[in-house]
Amino acid sequence: MALNFLFYRKSLIALTGLFLCVFLVVHLSANAILLLPNDIASELYNSYSHTLRENPLITVVAYVLYISIVLHAVVALLITLHNRKAKPQKYIMDKSQQNSSWYSKNMGILGTLILIFIIIHLANFWARIKLGIGEEVLLDKNGYKDVFSVTYELFQNIWFVLFYSILAIPLAFHLYHGLKSGFKTLGFYHKKGLRILAKVSLIYAIIMGVGFGIIPIVVYFK
Amino acid sequence: MKITFKIWRQKNSDSKGTLKTYDVDGLTEDMSFLEALDHLNEQLVLKNEEVIAYEYDCREGICGQCGVFINGRAHGPHDHMTTCQLHMRSFKDGDTIVVEPWRAKSFPIIKDLIVDRSAFDRIIEEGAYISSKTGTAPESNAIPIPKAKADKAMDAAACIGCGACVATCKNSSAALFTSAKINHLNSLPQGKAEEHERVEAMTWQMKEEGFGSCTFTGACEVECPEAISITNIAEMNARKLKAKLLG
Repeated sequence: MALNFLFYRKSLIALTGLFLCVFLVVHLSANAILLLPNDIASELYNSYSHTLRENPLITVVAYVLYISIVLHAVVALLITLHNRKAKPQKYIMDKSQQNSSWYSKNMGILGTLILIFIIIHLANFWARIKLGIGEEVLLDKNGYKDVFSVTYELFQNIWFVLFYSILAIPLAFHLYHGLKSGFKTLGFYHKKGLRILAKVSLIYAIIMGVGFGIIPIVVYFK
Repeated sequence: MKITFKIWRQKNSDSKGTLKTYDVDGLTEDMSFLEALDHLNEQLVLKNEEVIAYEYDCREGICGQCGVFINGRAHGPHDHMTTCQLHMRSFKDGDTIVVEPWRAKSFPIIKDLIVDRSAFDRIIEEGAYISSKTGTAPESNAIPIPKAKADKAMDAAACIGCGACVATCKNSSAALFTSAKINHLNSLPQGKAEEHERVEAMTWQMKEEGFGSCTFTGACEVECPEAISITNIAEMNARKLKAKLLG
């Protein structure tokens, strides 16, 4: 039974990963509001995040999200440890860069960078807005929490801008390989379909990487 | 041509191995890589030194015995090639060539460049067979098989079990080998009787042997001498799911 669990572990990573991919689409779409002129962006962004907080369905989805992130990371760690045991001795000369991409071989490192990002990202926003830890979030003229100002102020700090923008790069590579291989793990083997999937994954990863990477920079220079 | 070989020498599975340097002269570009090793061994015999142990059988790229890691890649610098098909013209005069055995927990080193690949045999034993009537040979056209299906089964059946997929995989995963064996039989009508048990039993044994899991880096299909597609692994995953639901 324990061994059988190994098979499901991979599926679990794929399923949680694909869910997180869908989440990122929604997240980036909402963040695109920040690219609008400040007065419009402020109102739209605050009312949007207010609507999210008030919706019970979103509350449920949020818990699924937290669980997905934790499961994805923990199970990936378990699999990585298991995989390392399968190759206890490395090659003295290794030219594996000739047969596989560096990002496909380093999903664990890319994932760890993303996890560090998520923790800091949650501390910046989620802890302040949702948990009320740190400086109090003021209300805007409509009586909604002024999430826009929290974002705007954060991205006046060049170090946070750099951190958020640079970390979008490992995200893009992780997503590219993750999306492509997640479907294969779940048993999608249609040859032509896989070729299309590879292209879709590339486009998806570029949109996510550029999208999340550019927003902090745009906000900084606004 | 003159080549400096750095070859992994290990007395037995319990001892600690190390790279040993050999300067070899008198090689020609027409020699196969195995012939170059033969040439080196002949010199070692003359010097009364212990010869290097390596495996080979057919020397024509179909038996899968001659797998070694050459200059950081399975079967040397080319894609889709066995060691015996590799020739010294792929190297330059004066080159240094590092030769190591397959490295994986499930392929313990027996001596020098020889590893124990019996884990593959045990995976085969678990389900790579079909139930068939004994007696006279059946009429060859009794079971109609569409060309596309026959081709697909043949592509998977081409696996020679050399172990390059495991050797090159950073996780030492045997997923390409196991999926090739499963898909070969499961895509043919003769394999239908044990369809689900086969997937369950062979993937179970694969894990039991201590191979790692597949993360689709794609290295295996590049190093596979038969160019078996990594799509086979995705198909095995689908068959595994089907076996769980219907088996």
